[in-house]
Amino acid sequence: MGKNAGLLPGTLDMLILKAVSLKPLHGYGVLLRIRQISGDALDIPQGSLYPALYRLEHQDLIAADWGTSDNNRKAKFYKLTTAGRRRLRDETAGWNRLAAAISSALNTTPEEV
Amino acid sequence: MWKRVWSRRKFEEKMQEELRFHIEEYTADLIRSGIPAEEAARRARVEFGSAASVQEECRQARGLLFFDELKRQIRHASRLLRKSPGFTMTAILTLGVCIGANLTLFAVVDAILLRPLPFPEPERLVTIFNTYPKANVERDGSSITNYYERRGRIAAFASLSMYRQGSGIVGEPGYTEREIINRVTPEFFGTLGTRPVLGRVFTEEETTPATDKAVILTDGYWRERFNADPNIAGRRVRIDGIANTVVGVLPAGFRFLSSEARLYAPFSSSPEERTSGNRHSGGNAKHLIARMAPGATIEQAQSQIDAQNAALDRDNPRAAMMAEAGFRSLVVSLHGDHTAGVRTILLCLQAGALGLLIIGGVNLMNLLLIRASSRAKEIAVRQALGATWWHVIAESGTEIVALAFAGGILGIAIGAFGVQAVIRFGADRLPLGSQIGMNAQLVVATIAGSSLLGVLMTIPIAWFHLRNHAAIQTESRSTTAGRAAQRLRHAFITGQIALALVLLTGAGLLGLSLEKAMAVPPGFRADHVLTGQLSVSWNVYRNWPSRLGFNERLLNELRGQPGVVSAGIASNVPLSGNSGKSAATVIGYARRPGESPRGLYSYGVDGDYFAAMGFALREGRFLNAADTRGKVPVCVVDEDFARYYWAGKTAIGQQLFQGASAGREQDAFTVVGVVGAVKQSELTDEAPHGAVYYPYVMRSDPSVIVAIRSQQPPESLVPALQRAVRQIDPEVPITGIRTMEARIDQSLVTRRSPALLAGLFSVVALLLTALGTYGVLSYAVAQRRREIGVRVALGARPESIRAQFLSIALRLLAAGTVLGLFGAWLTGQAMRTILFHVPPFHLATLLAAALTIGAVSLAACLIPSSRAARISPMEALADD
Repeated sequence: MGKNAGLLPGTLDMLILKAVSLKPLHGYGVLLRIRQISGDALDIPQGSLYPALYRLEHQDLIAADWGTSDNNRKAKFYKLTTAGRRRLRDETAGWNRLAAAISSALNTTPEEV
Repeated sequence: MWKRVWSRRKFEEKMQEELRFHIEEYTADLIRSGIPAEEAARRARVEFGSAASVQEECRQARGLLFFDELKRQIRHASRLLRKSPGFTMTAILTLGVCIGANLTLFAVVDAILLRPLPFPEPERLVTIFNTYPKANVERDGSSITNYYERRGRIAAFASLSMYRQGSGIVGEPGYTEREIINRVTPEFFGTLGTRPVLGRVFTEEETTPATDKAVILTDGYWRERFNADPNIAGRRVRIDGIANTVVGVLPAGFRFLSSEARLYAPFSSSPEERTSGNRHSGGNAKHLIARMAPGATIEQAQSQIDAQNAALDRDNPRAAMMAEAGFRSLVVSLHGDHTAGVRTILLCLQAGALGLLIIGGVNLMNLLLIRASSRAKEIAVRQALGATWWHVIAESGTEIVALAFAGGILGIAIGAFGVQAVIRFGADRLPLGSQIGMNAQLVVATIAGSSLLGVLMTIPIAWFHLRNHAAIQTESRSTTAGRAAQRLRHAFITGQIALALVLLTGAGLLGLSLEKAMAVPPGFRADHVLTGQLSVSWNVYRNWPSRLGFNERLLNELRGQPGVVSAGIASNVPLSGNSGKSAATVIGYARRPGESPRGLYSYGVDGDYFAAMGFALREGRFLNAADTRGKVPVCVVDEDFARYYWAGKTAIGQQLFQGASAGREQDAFTVVGVVGAVKQSELTDEAPHGAVYYPYVMRSDPSVIVAIRSQQPPESLVPALQRAVRQIDPEVPITGIRTMEARIDQSLVTRRSPALLAGLFSVVALLLTALGTYGVLSYAVAQRRREIGVRVALGARPESIRAQFLSIALRLLAAGTVLGLFGAWLTGQAMRTILFHVPPFHLATLLAAALTIGAVSLAACLIPSSRAARISPMEALADD
């Protein structure tokens, strides 16, 4: 799936989980929401979104339901499952640890060594 | 499967709808931000990327790729297989032959041993027979008295019935035919769980000789002779000249075990036949069958029968004698009992066929391992490019399963042919043989079995790839996986040689048993004798003078034919089955305490029977036509009889009574001659049972066998025999016209057919082993071309290189032989009961088998070894 330009490998799943954890969303909604909550910093390649959604659904981390979109069209809505919630919590904690570690590593000055 | 395909289609629709929604929403947003509609649509599509590849990735993410993947794998596999037609053909042919052999035998085993009898709840059907083991009578049917005493009194039986197989002359004068007729008691069809589709079963009123003129037709007879007349009830069928009223028609396809009967008549008996005095008059024609009560066990039935026997025999003056004979009535499964005679040999042959399949499978696995080795590099490259090991295994798995599947299809064709051959050559001599045939279940089982075989054969290949995967980093020419694969190939060859040795020994033991059986002198001169069975209806020939008159005219007629030396008649001839035993009471002989009464072969003879059959005369004289017609009861005994009762004395002049007790003095038979013992029921008979030959009138049967000795080839007398019978009475049917040699031949069929089949299996096994050894050694040579080239360049002599490869073969051969000897020992033990005069561990057979296999596999090694010896350094080093 190597089209995640600008995204670290493995982070797309995390972002999707986060996005749908706030409110059930359809695929396009997920895209917009990630863009929104990252302050327009992260742009998901549209082609890799859906395979990721299908994979997460297959892993039972998210569940899908057909509903009506804002403009009254039939759309597939994804929401977080219990397993997905747990996974999001773990991934968030893991990411925070990693980010802190990397950030502290990168901020090391010669005097601290 | 269809559900899966259907849900797959739904999935595709939903996915496309979702993606369309995305693109349309995005387009709408772009338009809202001020981009013109057309440009917006284009941008949306471009940014989304290739819809097809997104869809593909979605499918993959959902794990729905299974069928697509399978299709791709099959395409790939068939391409690989087409690229090497030699390998593919060898593989499919090997599997086809081996699977076909298994299918053929399995069709037989299934029809005879596995498939339940074609009656409702067949597991509840049993048969009961009397046995007097200490009197050498292992089996004596059941008596009419047994039937009447047990009927309704054995709680473990829901119903009990008696039947007797016989024959009759059926039809209007001038159009008669001999038909097999089963005589059955009223509960017979109910016991089996069936009933006539037209009319009724027999009634209790129809069980006396005066009122038994009823008949039930099988569906086949009804259609053939009465054109399926629906108003058949009440019509007449003449049996033995007497009109019988048709009371019923059986359902289509009804067949009792292996019986050829097309007509069923009531089993009638007189009050005298039902008395306790006849309790032990079983004989081998009358049989009991019973349906067990629901929930009852054979053990319960057995103990109830035992208890009843003990209670009943209390009033029997001969009870002590029966007890000394080891009398018991045994309850056994009807199906098991009917097929007991062929069980061991069928299972042995099936095991042989399985051995063949293993040899074939091992051959194929070796070839596949060789292929896998030669593709190791290609696969390594593909793995480096991202193919998972699972991918690689799935790919070879598909290839192997496809091969096995194709082998299975060919196997079905070969098996169908084999089954036809079995049906044509002797299925009718096997119990339940008529049930043998191809059916859908067998086809499905074969396909399932061969696919399973494919999966099994994938295992070593998968193992190889896994090892290879682990060892791939080293990138050396001979990886550890290569060595491991070689070890595996060698292990397979060893196993193959061992199995072939087992098969060969098994076939050898069977063949040797057959040879020994064939070499047994029957005790009479079987050459130049023609025999034929006559059925003289006693309803037509009502008294003795008329019956003897018929015999006399026939024998005179035959003696008048050119070349005829002598002619005689007997109630049965040796080695023709159904030789009945009965008791005789010798005057002046007191049984020692614990000595059992003896069952003796008893015959009635007329004319020059002994001369015609070429019996040896030990003492006194043969019986002749005058004895049959004279007033003084005389008889002839065989040497076994004479030795047993009058050891050290002359038998001539001694007296005996027919039957188990002494009678009036004037009924005693005086022995006038002693003849040589003959093999009565089988050439392999060993026990000296003893035989008594009475004049025809004293011990007779409406069905007799006429024997003619001639100076010409006996076959040339067939028309004369037929003509003679026709001239005297065209109503008397003559059947089973065969030479005595043919009868002996036929008595060996249960030995000959298995021996031939086992021989065929061993030849195929040998070929396969040779092929396998050749293949593996050729590969070893090819793989070490470079090494050999180097050695030759350094001055190694061709002989030493040849010796090196031959020594590999010898090592494999030695290991295989040791293993095979152990297997052969086990096989011999399993075959113990079907061997004749051959010990289960027969050294000469083993040696011959081992030498044959050794010679064949060494011959197979010679070509690759000499090829190795001829390798020239230049070309070997020039290669790759």
